Amino acid sequence: MYPFNLRKLKDLLFLVITGILSLLMIIPLLHIIFTVFVEGIGVIIRVGPIFVTGTLSDGGIGPAIAGTFILTFLASIIGIPIAFAVGVYAYEYPDSIIGRATTALLEIMLEFPTILVGLFVTQIIVIPMGTYSAIAGAFSLAIILMPYVAVYTKEAMSQIPFTFREAAFGLGISKIKTVFLIIAPIAKRGILTGLLISIAKVAGETAPLLFTAGGLYQSYPQGITNPVGAIPLLIYTLVQSPSPSDHAMAWGASLVLLLIFLGVFIPLRLSIKEVKL
Amino acid sequence: MIKIKSVKMDAFDLITYPAVFFVFLLFLWMLLVYFTNSLPAFQREGLNVYLKNIWIASEIPNKEYYGILAAIWGSLYTSLIALAIALPLSISYSIFVGDYLPRKFKEFMIIVSDIMAGLPTIIYGIWGAFFLVPFIKNWVMDPVYEYLPFISKFSQKPASGFSFLSAGVLLGIMITPFISAVVREAYGMVPHTYREAAYSLGLTKYEATKILMGYIKPAIISGVILGFGRAIGETVAVSLVVGNAFNLSANPFSPGYTISSLIATQYGNSFIYEHMTSVLYAAGLFLFFIGLIINLLGIYLLRRWRKNVSL
Amino acid sequence: MSEFAIETEDLNVYYGKNHVIKNMNLKIPKNTVFAIMGPSGCGKSTLLRSFNRLLDLNKIARVQGSVKLFGEEIYSNNTDSIVIRKDVGMVFQYPNPFPHLTIYDNIAIGLKMNKLVKDKNEMDSRIEWSLKKAGLWDEVKDRLEDYPSNLSGGQKQRLVIARAIAMKPKVILMDEPTANIDPVGSKKIEDLIFELKKDYTVVLVTHTPAQAARVSDYVAFIYMGELVETGKTGIIFTSPKSKTTEKYLMGELV
Repeated sequence: MYPFNLRKLKDLLFLVITGILSLLMIIPLLHIIFTVFVEGIGVIIRVGPIFVTGTLSDGGIGPAIAGTFILTFLASIIGIPIAFAVGVYAYEYPDSIIGRATTALLEIMLEFPTILVGLFVTQIIVIPMGTYSAIAGAFSLAIILMPYVAVYTKEAMSQIPFTFREAAFGLGISKIKTVFLIIAPIAKRGILTGLLISIAKVAGETAPLLFTAGGLYQSYPQGITNPVGAIPLLIYTLVQSPSPSDHAMAWGASLVLLLIFLGVFIPLRLSIKEVKL
Repeated sequence: MIKIKSVKMDAFDLITYPAVFFVFLLFLWMLLVYFTNSLPAFQREGLNVYLKNIWIASEIPNKEYYGILAAIWGSLYTSLIALAIALPLSISYSIFVGDYLPRKFKEFMIIVSDIMAGLPTIIYGIWGAFFLVPFIKNWVMDPVYEYLPFISKFSQKPASGFSFLSAGVLLGIMITPFISAVVREAYGMVPHTYREAAYSLGLTKYEATKILMGYIKPAIISGVILGFGRAIGETVAVSLVVGNAFNLSANPFSPGYTISSLIATQYGNSFIYEHMTSVLYAAGLFLFFIGLIINLLGIYLLRRWRKNVSL
Repeated sequence: MSEFAIETEDLNVYYGKNHVIKNMNLKIPKNTVFAIMGPSGCGKSTLLRSFNRLLDLNKIARVQGSVKLFGEEIYSNNTDSIVIRKDVGMVFQYPNPFPHLTIYDNIAIGLKMNKLVKDKNEMDSRIEWSLKKAGLWDEVKDRLEDYPSNLSGGQKQRLVIARAIAMKPKVILMDEPTANIDPVGSKKIEDLIFELKKDYTVVLVTHTPAQAARVSDYVAFIYMGELVETGKTGIIFTSPKSKTTEKYLMGELV
């Protein structure tokens, strides 16, 4: 009986260890959320509504919030139409050489170090323009946004049963109408969710903005060819400051960013089966 | 399905081809920008840019000399620490969530993992800098120096928690959800018949799971490779905790650089110097190729596995 | 000790709310080939999996009633499913040797984990013995360290049979073992089944009555989760009592 009990013991130990390690995996997230709340809520309460509307000298992060929205909006305008077309292409030609290359490229871009995108945009936009700008930051984010949107579009459309295509083609409807007016609307929900998740993802990006957006926290953004700030970028700057009051601001800004992210992400995540991040 | 190849482009192609072309162009353009901008560094220093650990930023261009070996080392080192942490967590998570947890908790765990994957990295950064770094200093580094005199003989007491270790741990936390997603998917794809076969041989759950893990090993390897790619490319969170110092040290407690944190911290003021910008593009080019090779490999292996797994 | 290898008493199996096995009372005599036949979806695979508690793997499956293995209840609280599965080998519909283990290791793994052999020598000889019994030794003896991917479907299935008999079980359960095998391979497996009953009790689930007629001593016909009739193969096939059985044998129920 002895070795047999040992096996049972191993089995139990296995359950305990995998359980503990799984718990250990999610503890950091719980701790992060907890810490950001605890550290961030103080400064927000102390400063009051000014925290989300005022400039940095008022003790607020208003321009950064505005910047994040501007950058995300511009990035979406630039990136989504192109990405959508690419996604539709990859859906339509999954087996052709270009189609397969496109899918591969999208997957590579999805995993690509984002700092490299930032430096690239600096070289092609910031340096020729002679200034950091919202448009440079937005273009940088758009490049990161594109593969997500394209992959989500492709996958949402691939979920649609093939018979819809056959039906459409059988009625003599052209390919472009079939794809854009029949398949895409059927896959609308998946595509939209994918879009929003992708946007939520890039809204939190920092590295691609480092040398493109420039940062602007003492006044609200002036226009798309001028520098803008962003919440993640501001946090990055404030964390590196030696001053404790800047650190408090950083926590406050983190709480705002976290709330925006969770507020967008959780409802979206609950509405679909799986995500690609 | 038979596709009839038409020579004439239809409206569909007219709309989608330019977009596809643009994305390819963008990628090639990026490669070109990194090539041309790093060329001066290669012409001046050759491969020493990568092979030497030296950083002389001088306003006199003749005296400038740069070698990013320490940053390359730091990238590899921190990413390996990250993998050492992430791999056991991911595998345990996949098994525990897949086999043990009831449905409700399972959903919860998966959503938590997805939140971790999507969480803005700067939030990991601030938590890393203000919580994790002091935590590791107080609970790992200091005790090691206090209670393991053998180790303290070889190096000095660390001044702060900013270190390869802190960066590695933070990266480990950050990449765990990515690797978990790959492993969990693979584990879920194991055909039921192999599970039955294992149990029909009178194996315990642990033994059967060990065999099934062997079966999904290729997917685990691709998960590890992709996780490595994520870790090596991560920038802001790492640069806030790694200490940003040129250090070619195997001591996990010493501060260091990674390629991406080097770029993040130095690029902003590199224009003051004659030659530094080009070196940073060379660093970027290195990251570009590592990223490309690693991700291609990971994606290829994963695809091959997915194809083979079907009965 | 009971004269029956397996006896079920008022056995009921549910998948969630689906009642898939209904009041099953079966007696399977020792050292015979006992075929379970019926149209697809009738519950025969489920019934088979209740004999080695493989239904435990299915989170929504619920078993009521009794299954006795040589007189010992396998669904009582103090029986260990692992001990039972050591005595009850299984062969599956899809030939499923572990593709990431060598031919050798595929057989060795169950022996090793259950500590059924003392040392490497005994392991080697046990593996040779089981492969010979499964009629596969001559085909694979020079490539035991290869992976099973290069074997034909029939060879893979015989490897699975070797894997099962290496454990020296008392009963071998076979779930449509030739469903995915070419005719030549199927013939070899059927011959093998015939051989195996000398030492083991073989419970064979089959989707073709012809196979049941060829290899079995006893047969049970299951329809919609219920036992329609059971008895000696020769008798059932020549003079079935039930109209349903007759229809099935005529190929009218699929």
